[in-house]
Amino acid sequence: MCRKSDMNDPYRILGVMPTSSDEEIRDAYRSLMRRYEGDDEKLSEITEAFDSIMNIRRGGSVQIPDGGFSEVRRQLQNGNYNDADSMLEGIGEKTAEWYFLKGSVCYAKGWLNEAYANFSQACRMEPYNPEYNSALRHMSETKGGYMQGDPNGNPYRGSGRTFGCSVCDICNGLICADCCCECMGGDCIPCC
Amino acid sequence: MFGYVKPFKPHMRICEYETYKAVYCGLCKILGREYGFVSRMTLSYDFAFLGLMALALNDSPAVVGPQRCIAHPWRKTSCLRSSDGLAYTAAAAEILIYNKVKDDLDDRRFLAKLFPWFMLKLTKKAYKKAAELYPGLAAYTAEQMSRQAKLEKDNCKSIDRASEPSSNILAEIAAGLSEKEEQKRILRRFGYLLGRFVYIADAFDDVEKDFRAGGFNPLVIGNPTINDLNLPEIQRRTGDSVNFTLGALADSYVQLEIKRFKPIIDNIVYLGLKNVFYDLIRKKEENEDIE
Repeated sequence: MCRKSDMNDPYRILGVMPTSSDEEIRDAYRSLMRRYEGDDEKLSEITEAFDSIMNIRRGGSVQIPDGGFSEVRRQLQNGNYNDADSMLEGIGEKTAEWYFLKGSVCYAKGWLNEAYANFSQACRMEPYNPEYNSALRHMSETKGGYMQGDPNGNPYRGSGRTFGCSVCDICNGLICADCCCECMGGDCIPCC
Repeated sequence: MFGYVKPFKPHMRICEYETYKAVYCGLCKILGREYGFVSRMTLSYDFAFLGLMALALNDSPAVVGPQRCIAHPWRKTSCLRSSDGLAYTAAAAEILIYNKVKDDLDDRRFLAKLFPWFMLKLTKKAYKKAAELYPGLAAYTAEQMSRQAKLEKDNCKSIDRASEPSSNILAEIAAGLSEKEEQKRILRRFGYLLGRFVYIADAFDDVEKDFRAGGFNPLVIGNPTINDLNLPEIQRRTGDSVNFTLGALADSYVQLEIKRFKPIIDNIVYLGLKNVFYDLIRKKEENEDIE
């Protein structure tokens, strides 16, 4: 089933990482708008996710924790991951946020094994941080074989879509509705 | 290093396979016409894929017609007649192959040097012509190949670092497939990850051979003895690396503006690549059974 927390994760909706550069976020937004052209509900969901991320980045509704890492984040958002890396290497104390940002630098460079190791460490140190969990979850899904946009479908993350309910979810929902109905004395689906 | 980017035929429609073959044939023809007979022998599925991408991302006309093929001269086959998109792919193929042969020559010893030495002589003229057309690409490829050689000489044990130069080469080649700046950025990432997949698949394919020969392979764990390569653990770790790579590849692929041949390219990206890796695993399991 689609978890409510997943549906509210704007990064997951756009299929990007929390520290993807602004350009990457815009690329993802544009490609999804093209892919779901004509589907008003999905288009508004995508637009909402994009606006929410851009709001956070402009210092809007949610405050990004500042532990001396705000400049690193700014560099990442501008796509300057080498500069971000140099800054990180100059910071002696390796907090959870350090590992998360190091993982983001590695991910941006394409050093995926090191990215996963760093994200895992960040989540071990701060298990309830939603940002770190979003990044780790994104990579864990791909570790399990998930590929975004797969027209052949993938049983571990729904049928190749970035969000929405699968046929299994609809069927489960109907069976549950039928059970509830029968408990109340009715029978929504006579054959079940 | 070549032949890991190919379609998964069982899930391909016949008409799609015919189109794929027509692009392959078209590339072969251009290679023969522009770079000579020898260059046709160096054609691989990987370059057919790049050619397909070039055609998919651009609007240049792609005319298919029956032509005679050197592989089966007794009948005509569907062949892509001519397209600007394939000219770049052909040049990139020549640059990459020449550099790869040069690298092989440096790696091998004594009599084993004979074949790459011979191939280098045969491919040099074609390389010079391609390098004149795309000097930036030629220089960058040579620079990255040097970096690759140095990493291997230093026995780099990180797959991420060891695969980087080869990935950079394919990133640079892929960036040239579109004229649009926005698409170039996404193509660079796509090409990097595709190059990374090819590097890892090639390293996995050769892991036992490299180990026995005392050669470099970044997938070998620690310093094992001759009887204790720990192939199951190598396979598990490599599987994870491959999955990370393909997942990130898909993230960039969905952002590309594929104007045509999407079902064929989807087949290669979503089915072909992972099945190439499964085939490598199967081959190793069969070899173990024989032993």
